[in-house]
Amino acid sequence: MVLSELSIKNFRNHTHTSIECCRGVNFLLGNNGQGKTNIIEAISYLCLTKSFYAGSDTLVPKFGEGMFEVEGRIVSDGGKPFVVRVAYLRETNEKVFMINGRRVPTLSSVIGKFPIVIFSPEHGSVTTGGPSERRKFLDMVISQSSRAYFKDLLGYRSVLRQRNRVLLDMKLGRQGGNGLLAPWNEQLAALGSAVWWKRHTFITEFSPVVRSVYSHFVDIEERPFLEYRPLGGREFPATQEELSAVFLEILAARENEERRFGTSLVGPHRDDVALTLDGRDLRSYASQGQHKTFIISLKLGEFLYLKSRCNETPLLMLDDVFAELDDARTARVIAYIERVGQAFLTSTHRNPIESWDMNRTEYRTIFIDGGAVAEQKTVVHA
Amino acid sequence: MPRPSDSLQRLIEEFTRLPGIGRKSAQRLALYILKLPAGEVREIAGALLDLKEKMKYCSVCWNFTETDPCPICSGPRRDPGIICVVEEPNDVIAIERTSEYRGLYHVLGGCLSPLEGIGPEELRVRELLPRVGKGVGEVILALSATIEGEATTIYLTKLLKPIGVPVTRLARGISVGGDLEFTDEATLARALEGRVAV
Ligand SMILES: Nc1ncnc2c1ncn2[C@@H]1O[C@H](COP(=O)(O)OP(=O)(O)OP(=O)(O)O)[C@@H](O)[C@H]1O
Ligand SMILES: [Mg+2]
Ligand SMILES: [Zn+2]
Repeated sequence: MVLSELSIKNFRNHTHTSIECCRGVNFLLGNNGQGKTNIIEAISYLCLTKSFYAGSDTLVPKFGEGMFEVEGRIVSDGGKPFVVRVAYLRETNEKVFMINGRRVPTLSSVIGKFPIVIFSPEHGSVTTGGPSERRKFLDMVISQSSRAYFKDLLGYRSVLRQRNRVLLDMKLGRQGGNGLLAPWNEQLAALGSAVWWKRHTFITEFSPVVRSVYSHFVDIEERPFLEYRPLGGREFPATQEELSAVFLEILAARENEERRFGTSLVGPHRDDVALTLDGRDLRSYASQGQHKTFIISLKLGEFLYLKSRCNETPLLMLDDVFAELDDARTARVIAYIERVGQAFLTSTHRNPIESWDMNRTEYRTIFIDGGAVAEQKTVVHA
Repeated sequence: MPRPSDSLQRLIEEFTRLPGIGRKSAQRLALYILKLPAGEVREIAGALLDLKEKMKYCSVCWNFTETDPCPICSGPRRDPGIICVVEEPNDVIAIERTSEYRGLYHVLGGCLSPLEGIGPEELRVRELLPRVGKGVGEVILALSATIEGEATTIYLTKLLKPIGVPVTRLARGISVGGDLEFTDEATLARALEGRVAV
């Protein structure tokens, strides 16, 4: 899909900003603190119904204003036009999402319809941070490509919260009745094994994609690998039914331990994905450049995966990602993304042609200054 | 001295506490009441108090009733061999609307939700057990298709099975996450008809 126009009102430091976008690479250029990332954030509202980083909508309306609006014109790969509109009113904390003038029944029904891949400096923690960062990454990618996964995940979390309360009550001796755990165990195993199963299927497909993307950015042979072993040393079952049975089995074996801790110790909420380079753990051994190349490959892999799964080319947002990369590596990344679809890149560099040596004949530069567009033009070069 | 709008404000606050009533609707209702003639307001207030004074729980099925036992429990054409377990009195109304069901009910008063402090003790589970002993040929578990409803279904099944009474549950016509009271009659009738043994 392609975002052809974006218009935002009272969004962060933008009073009223309209931009037109080209089908290829769109550079959002400007000094620090001028409102480049805010534009990426506005686009994330159109695709994800929420900010890609702010935890709460209440922070987003321009200081002193009670509401914000984002409107975008999107054309799908198949040529279908959509006018997508998000309006948020702080007073009632109400968010209205409209597609072609119709309000959508639920915000979650939008997820996956307009796929997007956003890469900003915070995403570096996927390779450097703890397991929860990698679970977040997994859930984000799989949820966008599978509504069923998203539903299972939400269901799993609800069961987990209820079950944790039962365990906590047991630990504190508030309620210890037998049979109180069983109703939650069955559902935890059913939903938890569904989540495990889909994560496993995903990693199996995804790891080779990442390896192939990675190979574009390095001369030497470096082999990245993603490994998912939710059952530890135990063999991953061949069917989801078996997996569900194994889940129940582990729950039974660890029940005493769980009662002692007063919380759930088994399941997808404890997962991790091992990231390795040539068989060595990334977190323990990799250089900063290798981390950076790995995370870029994960993100572009996410892009390719979503594209094939959603039958729709996602938007690609790269916020400030080239700050640490040398020019040669940056040129390779840009050369790669130029080919895959529409992209938005923010940078404080003034002139992308000089520093990045664009190959494409057409791209667009949009200069942002103080929450407004100072200049926007499409550059065609021979 | 209270400000002139205090009594209006108070009524709005009270309305906001009602289920399904937001701030805007509460204001609209309060202003509507303000404009009514005093006699009509007295009628409404009387009806509210009346309800509270006359309605009580049926000592058999725990539905709301003015007579004990309730008209359903004492109805001559009801089949006492079937008990349909539901969460709330609303669900009884929903199932009665289908005109498909001839058995009796048992109103649990909610479903299991540890986070809200609702365990079996908070529900009318203990009251259900003595009812299923004598001459009951089937217990239908008609609970919401939410994780809490599902947990309650599993819990009751494990409790009732050893007694030897056949237990069934609604067929999966009800959308997952759906409350019984919001399910349309046709769907509910089909779910009742296609109930499955557990
Ligand atoms: N709710 C808000 N209302 C008004 N201004 C806001 C609001 N939230 C953030 N800002 C302002 O927006 C600016 C930051 O914008 P943004 O993050 O888009 O900058 P940027 O162009 O990406 O800068 P950098 O190059 O440093 O990343 C800051 O000046 C901040 O004060
Ligand atoms: Mg920024
Ligand atoms: Zn009764």
